[in-house]
Amino acid sequence: MSATVTAPPATPRPQQPRKRRSFLGLDRDGLMLAVPALIPVVLFSVYPLLRGIYLGFTDAQAGANAQTTFTGFENYRNLLDDSYFWDSFRIGLIWAFSVTILQFFASLGLALLLNQKLRLRWLARTLALVPWAMPPVVIGIMWRLVYHPNAGILNDVLLDLRIIDENVDWLSSFSVALPAVIVVGVWAGMPQTTVVLLAGLQSVPKELHEAAAMDGANVWQRFRSVTWPAIKPVVVAMTTLDFIWNFNSFSLVYVLTQGGPGGETRLPLLFAYEEAFRYGNYGYAAALGNAMVVVIAVFVVFYLRQRVREANAR
Amino acid sequence: MRSMRIVALAAATGLVLAACGGGDDETGGDGGSGGEPVELTFQTLAWQTAAVEANEAIVDAWNEANPDIQVELLQGDWNNVHDQLMTSFEGGTAPDVFHYESTVLQDFGDRGNVLDLSEYLSDEIRDDIREGAWDTATFGDAVYGVPFLQESQVVFANRTLLEAAGVTLPTVDDPWTWDEFADVAAQLTTEGQFGAVIPLNAPANRILNLARNFGGDYFTDPAGEAQAVFDAAEQEVPRRIHEMLYTDRSASPDGIGMSSADALPGFFAGQYAMLPGAIWLRQQLVEQAPDGFDWVTLPALEGDSSAQGAVSQTLSVSASTEHPEEAVQFIEFFLNAENQVQLAAGDWLLPTSQEAAQSPELNDPATGWDVATATADDLEMAPFQQVKGFEEWKSRIANPAFQEYFSDQISLEELGTKLVDEGNAVLERYQR
Amino acid sequence: MNRSTPVGTTLKYVALAAYLVFLAFPLFWLISTSLKTPQELALIDPTWIPNDITFDNFRAAFDEQPIVRSMLNTLLVAGVSCVVTVVLSIPAAYVMARYRSVLSRMTLVWVLLSQIFPFILVIIPLFLLLRDLGLYDTYLGLIAVYVVWSMPFALWMLRSYVETIPIELEEAAAMDGATKVRTLRSVIAPLLAPGVVAAGLFAFVSAWNEFLFALVLIRDPELQTLSLTLVKFIGAEGVARLGPLAAASLVATIPSLIFFAVMQRRLTGGLLGGAVKS
Repeated sequence: MSATVTAPPATPRPQQPRKRRSFLGLDRDGLMLAVPALIPVVLFSVYPLLRGIYLGFTDAQAGANAQTTFTGFENYRNLLDDSYFWDSFRIGLIWAFSVTILQFFASLGLALLLNQKLRLRWLARTLALVPWAMPPVVIGIMWRLVYHPNAGILNDVLLDLRIIDENVDWLSSFSVALPAVIVVGVWAGMPQTTVVLLAGLQSVPKELHEAAAMDGANVWQRFRSVTWPAIKPVVVAMTTLDFIWNFNSFSLVYVLTQGGPGGETRLPLLFAYEEAFRYGNYGYAAALGNAMVVVIAVFVVFYLRQRVREANAR
Repeated sequence: MRSMRIVALAAATGLVLAACGGGDDETGGDGGSGGEPVELTFQTLAWQTAAVEANEAIVDAWNEANPDIQVELLQGDWNNVHDQLMTSFEGGTAPDVFHYESTVLQDFGDRGNVLDLSEYLSDEIRDDIREGAWDTATFGDAVYGVPFLQESQVVFANRTLLEAAGVTLPTVDDPWTWDEFADVAAQLTTEGQFGAVIPLNAPANRILNLARNFGGDYFTDPAGEAQAVFDAAEQEVPRRIHEMLYTDRSASPDGIGMSSADALPGFFAGQYAMLPGAIWLRQQLVEQAPDGFDWVTLPALEGDSSAQGAVSQTLSVSASTEHPEEAVQFIEFFLNAENQVQLAAGDWLLPTSQEAAQSPELNDPATGWDVATATADDLEMAPFQQVKGFEEWKSRIANPAFQEYFSDQISLEELGTKLVDEGNAVLERYQR
Repeated sequence: MNRSTPVGTTLKYVALAAYLVFLAFPLFWLISTSLKTPQELALIDPTWIPNDITFDNFRAAFDEQPIVRSMLNTLLVAGVSCVVTVVLSIPAAYVMARYRSVLSRMTLVWVLLSQIFPFILVIIPLFLLLRDLGLYDTYLGLIAVYVVWSMPFALWMLRSYVETIPIELEEAAAMDGATKVRTLRSVIAPLLAPGVVAAGLFAFVSAWNEFLFALVLIRDPELQTLSLTLVKFIGAEGVARLGPLAAASLVATIPSLIFFAVMQRRLTGGLLGGAVKS
């Protein structure tokens, strides 16, 4: 199953001189640096992960007296026939792509602004992180109030501004429910992306900017030729993770719509969650998890390859 | 008051008897004096202030009276209790006694996670709790929980608006039929005001419970090889609601995505004259209604009958407990008539104890208790909760399909096709 | 960058203001909600500033739930998780970025896999493992989970930050005879500061907010973390005690915001600029 993933995106790295003794390609210094992190990872993450992946090839069920047997690819045959699975995947991809792309551009703009010398910059930087600081349990409830069909502040404001002339039922209308939850998704994920991009922008040497400005480059040209290449690795890393996280999110949407109206906002993880925790089909749920791994890995590997090729071409 | 004491005394005697008899493989529950006290954990889902206080008071009283059996009160929460219990069942860390609802007990029972209480329960509690309530927690011969709180559906109305329109309010003895309700709603619909708002967010449970009004079962042979059906009887309730929304236009379309609490601001503002809802909504009405807002609880609507399907909140014992007898003793104390009055009042729900239902506190007309308590006789075990795979049918098929139908995206026939054909495909998986 | 026209400057502030309104208005809403009476919360025309300010919600929140206690608990768990994550991740990320080794590749695969495979499906095996290790109902178990939960992000991001650091700097240090460990500590780590702050913030906030695992792992009410306390104000069927919930959430939000306000200084260029020049 995970064969697709094991093709790691090779990034060009400076050649290392050959070391005399090595374990898994690391010299003594390298091992000393890496091992402390690896111990908890192997124990608390790799083991449960492998166990979870294995369950996807069994008929594991919840229950004190459930017998688990290895069933090979049977779960996957059932998945292929499961139209709810396909629907949720389609919605998941729309959701993940929209949120990731919008989030990235919005965050990049914000990070560029916050990177400048501004009055009260510390306050702006702090307030920009509000969505991150708010407890997730209250976020869904707050946004439900914002979108409330007749007592919500959004309709209230839009009516006052005469942008709409009657209340919109944001979360239960078939046409706007998905866009409405995408906005919340972008909102909730922006702080992480902004902080990461801001940190990336800090690593752009000022001297380069000054030199480019000296050559008469305008703002856009400076961004293209100086800033963008410098933050590229960070951008690739962050958008990849954002995409994965977004594809894997569900609790926020679940609180907002419970997957409705009519299944329009049922993300794949909701499906996995219900299979595992509502219906007790751990094996089938894990198979779905594995299918998600394969599909996302295809996108991610493709994306990372592409970026690497671009980098090499330069 | 005297009868309460007698019940408490009887319950206590029952406890002693239960403690003496029964135990075939008693592991460490010596119940007598001396030795370490037995420690039990009890996870409640109470969250309203009054209900939490009632829980705390009852547990304190128990701990005081039973130094040998000490109960630790844990507070769970409704939105995550399922995941939490499933995980702790796997790990053997589930609380000894836990609060949840009857709809999940079939699954938990099948998986060997909850104890069958049938051989532990005393006659007192069996007699005190309504038969219809016991049905909700009884699967075959096994009793997987003690039912204690039930909700029923009623209609809330803005009395000022109804009186201004000259509507005569129905009484418990002469409730409105669905037709009369629709007529009144149409009569009350004016510019800027709808006769009713029907909250339809995740509507399956409500629709299925109300379907009993017209004898709608939604499933044949629920306890065996269940098949979904959508015939005339099942169609009645959704069709009537759809008519009010799109033909009469007497029910506000706002309701489609709303939970009943969401509908309150509009109800208070006079945008909707009537609001069908569950009896617990009274708590919200009492707490949130603006000064001078005059609301009234109207009796449940009547179809061919006034029967309603119902589920129960339950207390169950986890199968991994080391002290089943003590756990049941505690449950019986916790759910004695006197305590049930406090619990029901705290959560604004019906008690299952017949004696508790007589208490003056639970019959006060000022807050609609008289109407609420009167529905108790109409509650039947909701047949769907015995259907294996019902949860999946509901979440995957029924809720989305009802939402599409009430948003006028699909016709009644298409709704039927989804519920039955797609629904049976889901149910089939559970019958292998 | 600093030579902008007055129009440009105004536009910048307008754009920033628009961002902040979008991102921060819920905070204002939370404050406003926490000061309203139940009646006012059910108004059809929501008020931005309460007509009738009340502190009952705060009183109820503090009376009914051990908010301060659970906040201290969470601070402990999140603080330790944050520090441990960062301390373990910096060297490992450095190795991932600078060594072309099997281990680096395996780590990379793990990082992605651990993020792609749904966490909820790992909960049960992880839970059983922690129980067998005697870590049920302990902070140690919770911290272990949070550390490995945040580490993929920390490694992944720090690795990409290390890649933005010119290799020449290290080579210069190596020429001077510094060991890898020393190079890392004295050359790389200071340059990584903004990335470390980003990773640290992530680790802290994830642990601060995490709910599901805390729910299944922690039973003792004395050990409860903040997110467990907050859900006590939420009931079934989408009904919540909005006022007390908003009050408690506000109290829970403030420490994170203060933490952000302090940490954001570390995101500024001064530190880095200085390091590069020296």
